[in-house]
Amino acid sequence: MHVEIDEPGRKVLLMGNEAIARGAIEAGVDFCSGYPGNPASEILETLAGVAKKLDFLTEWSVNEIVALEAAGAAACAGLRAMTVMKNMGVDVCSDFLMTVNMSGTKGGFVLISGDDPAVHSSNSELDTRNYARFADIPLLEPATTQEAKDMTKWAFDLSEELGVLCMVRTVTRLSHSSGLVSLGPITREERSAEFAPLLGTWTSGSGDYTCMFHDALHGKLKTAQEKFEESQFNWYTGKEDAEFIIITSGTGWLYSAEAVKLLGLKDEVGILKLGTTWPLPEKLIAKHLKHAKEVLFVEEIDPFLEQNVKVLAAELAADIGPIKFYGKKSNHIRSEFGAGVGELDVDTVMRGLTETMNVTYIPRDQDYAEKAEKLVGSYAPNRSMAFCAGCPHRASFWAIKRALKWDGRDGIVTGDIGCYSMAQLPTGFMVLKSMHCMGAGIGTATRFGNLKRYGLDKPVIAVSGDSTFYHACIPALINARWNKSNLLYVILDNKTTAMTGNQPHPGIGIDALGEPSPVTPIEDVCKGIGVEVRKCDPFDIDEATQNLYEMLQTEGVKVIIFSRECALTEAQKRKKKPRVYVDQDKCIGDECGCMRFCTRVLNCPGNIWDYTKGKAKIDEVVCNGCGLCAKLCPAGAIIVEEVV
Amino acid sequence: MQNIKGPDDLQRNVLDEELCTGCGACTNLCPYIDMVKANAIIIEPCGLSKGRCYNFCPRSYIDVPSLDKSIFGSYREDIAIGSNIYVMKARAKDEEIRSAAQYGGVVSALIIHALQTGKIDAAVLATSSDGVNPKPTIARSKKEVLECVGSKYIVSPTVSKVLDAIKGEMGKIGVVCTPCQMTAIRKMQDSPFETGEEKISLGIGLFCTWCFSPDTYEYIRSLVGSANILKTDIPPPPANIFVIQTDERRVEVPLDEIRKFIMPSCAVCFDMTNEFSDISVGTVEGEEDWNTVIVRTRNGERFLKSAKEAAIIETKPLEKEKFNHLCEASLNRKKRALKEIDGRKITYLTIRDEERSKIISWNGGI
Ligand SMILES: Cc1cc2nc3c(=O)[nH]c(=O)nc-3n(C[C@H](O)[C@H](O)[C@H](O)COP(=O)(O)OP(=O)(O)OC[C@H]3O[C@@H](n4cnc5c(N)ncnc54)[C@H](O)[C@@H]3O)c2cc1C
Repeated sequence: MHVEIDEPGRKVLLMGNEAIARGAIEAGVDFCSGYPGNPASEILETLAGVAKKLDFLTEWSVNEIVALEAAGAAACAGLRAMTVMKNMGVDVCSDFLMTVNMSGTKGGFVLISGDDPAVHSSNSELDTRNYARFADIPLLEPATTQEAKDMTKWAFDLSEELGVLCMVRTVTRLSHSSGLVSLGPITREERSAEFAPLLGTWTSGSGDYTCMFHDALHGKLKTAQEKFEESQFNWYTGKEDAEFIIITSGTGWLYSAEAVKLLGLKDEVGILKLGTTWPLPEKLIAKHLKHAKEVLFVEEIDPFLEQNVKVLAAELAADIGPIKFYGKKSNHIRSEFGAGVGELDVDTVMRGLTETMNVTYIPRDQDYAEKAEKLVGSYAPNRSMAFCAGCPHRASFWAIKRALKWDGRDGIVTGDIGCYSMAQLPTGFMVLKSMHCMGAGIGTATRFGNLKRYGLDKPVIAVSGDSTFYHACIPALINARWNKSNLLYVILDNKTTAMTGNQPHPGIGIDALGEPSPVTPIEDVCKGIGVEVRKCDPFDIDEATQNLYEMLQTEGVKVIIFSRECALTEAQKRKKKPRVYVDQDKCIGDECGCMRFCTRVLNCPGNIWDYTKGKAKIDEVVCNGCGLCAKLCPAGAIIVEEVV
Repeated sequence: MQNIKGPDDLQRNVLDEELCTGCGACTNLCPYIDMVKANAIIIEPCGLSKGRCYNFCPRSYIDVPSLDKSIFGSYREDIAIGSNIYVMKARAKDEEIRSAAQYGGVVSALIIHALQTGKIDAAVLATSSDGVNPKPTIARSKKEVLECVGSKYIVSPTVSKVLDAIKGEMGKIGVVCTPCQMTAIRKMQDSPFETGEEKISLGIGLFCTWCFSPDTYEYIRSLVGSANILKTDIPPPPANIFVIQTDERRVEVPLDEIRKFIMPSCAVCFDMTNEFSDISVGTVEGEEDWNTVIVRTRNGERFLKSAKEAAIIETKPLEKEKFNHLCEASLNRKKRALKEIDGRKITYLTIRDEERSKIISWNGGI
């Protein structure tokens, strides 16, 4: 692994997330926790991979707040601790965040947040930078892979110096792209942990004490600001006293630099690149606002810099005179969906510049663009998002769909966060009718299933995955029982945190290091809560349907666990997969009795249509050998052959 | 010209109108339709505009003249009980069969004979684990046939099992079923779709005035508790009762109290005597261990002759008065059905105009 190379000065290719992990290693991290979530998952995976060798601790936590609390404790004990999570994880941990900011830290305490502009794999474009401002904590925004490493390392120093946790915000493009990183030395400082808070108690206090702590926090932020004025992560390039400047941070900086270059505006436009974005280095910014008459803001997601710099400009108005501001508010920086939505790229910045600076730019002529688009389309088939070949969720949702039809009362299915969220799409037969945050499936189902008084009397099914169960569903399940709801909670137990890349969870008996750990069985938890629990294999599709149907006929809170390992982890373990093929003589294709059920409805990527024969066939490379299609094929034309 | 439509029409014309008989003819054909509590449910539209589901359904349309023609070669002369060669009384000779059977045991005796002589290789019958709920099953031996004796008055998805038997390549198939189910089987045999229907070699039809929905089971249980139910019966008029015989006692329920459980689809049923069977079998008023038997097709006639020659059954002529009562009961059924059909503007049934007016103007008596 590149992250563990101990050759200071050597340049290696690292993914953004690996660079963050390397930064932590160079900072001598003692403990790292997290909950998997794109785009941040690989940071902890990388650290766990070297934790034993470098002798520090890691954990996948049950959820983000527990993760932050665990790291907070380690830092309180004087260790260097870090927590990694995706954007929405910060929501989950925010309760602790809003108090631990005031109670402070002894050891370096760093929160890494992975934002996901354009929602590559999320369901919110949450800009977590707002949390730094909200919580009055210092915020760093790396623009390059090198900075991802360097800033992470520095965040520990800063946190320790200030006595407050420090946030580093990355985004998908940075986390998942690779770049050359010049390595620093790996330092392993032997620290010992002790519970010895400065004031004897580790607390954000209450009453006047809280106000005092709050004020002290503001003081720490002031110190951070002074440091930021001098930070090597902020710089200005371009014409010294340019009248048109771009203020940018994070990935926006590279897009801006490239756009300015491509438009030939290097001699006219200055770029102020900020790496420390909360609190703002006000003096540095003021210096450049003085010569600017027009400012374009380039940043991912929210107009965070844009709004904060405008406030500063208002304060400085008498000194700096009038300035025209462009960005999201003015609609000059916008995606196809609108301003403040979606992801930045060079084209977006160039459009912003051409619209504000009276220059024209045609990247390629229209003919060429159309031709290219056509050609690309001809090579890449247009596919909708889908469950993997052999995914047990496909069977689970077909069973749910059937059971609801059997029931006939037009039942409601509320969903949660995981691969199975895709059941909103045709791949899950569009069964899922709601999706919000972790745990909201069962949380909302609790009241959908208890609104008879107002005339809503339909069966309600809540669906979540196994990892989500541990993460956020248990309080809601207890609440449902406590408040006499009527719902059937389906737990899709595929023995892994699948969506984020198959990380372990408390139900499978291994920890972040892959070492044995005690199991907390979902079934036992539910039984302990006191609800009826059934368990079956979704691939026994008729039994699964029958169970669901029966459970829908009774009142109260019930749980059914659909237990079947994720097709991907199963495939990684086994040596040989069964061979599945279509006996085309038996296949009735698009005739009555089938009408391409496997390729049109079940729609597993392993089921494909043989256009020359007008029959189904199996893509044996893609097929995972689960045999679901063979069970459902009305003609018995799909054959599953065990390979010995 | 066949009036073939698809699942959308099945939904609209049959399922939405609560006309599903629960026969099972549309299930087991494709992955899109399931049968739940004697109601077909379309899980997902298959997208076809013509299909077997609609084609085989006994409530999508019945073209009586054309079915008569294809089964009997000509249109019926008897408007009361449909085409027939002769009507008689009969009972099984085998005491063992008779004592176990609903009435005279003709049905079970004939099926056993058919299996033993190779007339059929497998029979689709209805068994029950609780004496009330039927479960269609395939019988291939006397023992298995005897496990199915007795009437279960709750609807059985028998035709879906026939499809199983066909798919299972079990050879020649015999089936015992109610009139709606027989209609579905005949429509299947008359259909341009090929389903393997030629394997059905013998159709023994039960008389049926109506059938209960699956919910009836809980009601019956509420009456008899957990007692073992040995037999249920609806003795012919004027009894007007439903009888539940448990190993502890005999419970009689006035029919008016249990009528609410009758399948809604029975209201439009035109066929009490199983008019499209090879041989139809029912009760004989006042004679509990005999059956009324209507022999309808040449196939049925030949088979019955062989059963008689082999001394499987004994027969007697049916008294004129009892025959007349049977015809009256059947005409009553038809008249009620036509009223319902006309009142609800349901169009599934095609009969000759003259037959229709004769039935509507019929006012009792033969
Ligand atoms: C729902 C229903 C309603 C009936 N209504 C009348 C009526 O109104 N008038 C009348 O004269 N006769 C009626 N019968 C027929 C009667 O009850 C006897 O089944 C018939 O006379 C044959 O008697 P058996 O002694 O030969 O029967 P058995 O030798 O005991 O054989 C009975 C056969 O019926 C089959 N069977 C039982 N229940 C069902 C079911 N639900 N669906 C399909 N097959 C089944 C069994 O597989 C068995 O093979 C009805 C039967 C049923 C099932």
